[in-house]
Amino acid sequence: MRRTRRRGDDAQAVLETALVIPILLFLVCNFIAVMVQVTVQEQLNSATALAAQSRFQAPESAIDAVGTRCCGLHGVTLITAGLPTGCRYAAETFYGTMTTYVGLLHWTAATLCTSGGDSGDASNPPRQPVGYNGSPTNAEVSCDIGSITAAGVVVRGYVDRTLNPPAGLEVVTCNASASLDFSNTPLAWGVFWTPTIHAQAEALPPPFRQ
Amino acid sequence: MGGEFEGVVRLRRMPHARGQALLEFAVVLPLFLLCLIGALDAGLWAVQTSAEVSAVQEAAMIASSAGSSPVSEKAPDARAVTAAISGRLHSALFGTAIESWCATDANGACAPDNTQQCPLTPAQVQAADGPRVVVVCVSEADPPACTKPPPGQSSPWPLGCDDSPMITVRVIGFVASLVPPGFGPGAGGFELPTDISATTHTLRFAP
Repeated sequence: MRRTRRRGDDAQAVLETALVIPILLFLVCNFIAVMVQVTVQEQLNSATALAAQSRFQAPESAIDAVGTRCCGLHGVTLITAGLPTGCRYAAETFYGTMTTYVGLLHWTAATLCTSGGDSGDASNPPRQPVGYNGSPTNAEVSCDIGSITAAGVVVRGYVDRTLNPPAGLEVVTCNASASLDFSNTPLAWGVFWTPTIHAQAEALPPPFRQ
Repeated sequence: MGGEFEGVVRLRRMPHARGQALLEFAVVLPLFLLCLIGALDAGLWAVQTSAEVSAVQEAAMIASSAGSSPVSEKAPDARAVTAAISGRLHSALFGTAIESWCATDANGACAPDNTQQCPLTPAQVQAADGPRVVVVCVSEADPPACTKPPPGQSSPWPLGCDDSPMITVRVIGFVASLVPPGFGPGAGGFELPTDISATTHTLRFAP
């Protein structure tokens, strides 16, 4: 029996191609998007870690003078007057390091420095945390010194004396969150998800601190 | 036809069917290779960029340190920083040369970091050092000198004059890749641009 090609065979080949090529491109787009996400996550981790270490690189009692400002992305300025200089150092380091892929990121705004920490534990109740009034709330990174866990809830601004009595162990914790938006890139053709990335880093004060 | 093969249909490939298969193959093969190379290159690029990010972070900590003495005012220069992180970079950036970017002084040593001008674009590195080269550049931004505050202003003046210097480490250039000529973003071929930097305040004591 001889089988001759019919018009339907050609149509089938075109249909197969029309199905396979978009699927292939969809897979490649999403593969590239995952790679971009991994890379941005790495950079966010790095910027947050450096910011946490910078928090202690200012003199311990230094306070930013009236009129001091710094560093926001997209033309946003952070007013740091009245805050510990270390808070501004942390922000400057974060923004100075997080320089690439910023067009893909939608940041979660945070308070730059909520508090500076105070000593206390269960047997020696902590005083109120040292609050920093006027800390900018439009920062892309937040850095706080100290935290305790009370009833399963992390309360920032305290230093747990049990870790290193009597002064407590000053640990700075920096956080940054953003969502990755591909809608303005060629990948938007095949990437329909918007991943959220988050980085947290902790640092201890260096042994020789001013 | 008969016996055990009776009822079995034999298909003979027609010459034009073979031609069509060849044509389909010719169309699909470049697409397949494009996707394969694209996926491989995306993975390679992610590995290389991750290595660069972690190396630059380490480099920033080294460059912002006090060097050999806790009271030293001179930061490690680009050559010292490059030597410290080149092992980590070499393991990921295969096929790419890693060099220091430093203007030299009269003795051939790197000039102080606060006089260094890092390249602004990967193309600038390519023009200076050739293809598939990344450079490690260390620059320092010093605060303005403190002066007597004008009437009505408090010291220190100007604002930020008592800050510690800021160190920026930059890895910039073109890394080797599988991208053929004409397909990369601004690349001459078989390379992709990279520009990763990290900034931090120094750990040095104020003079």
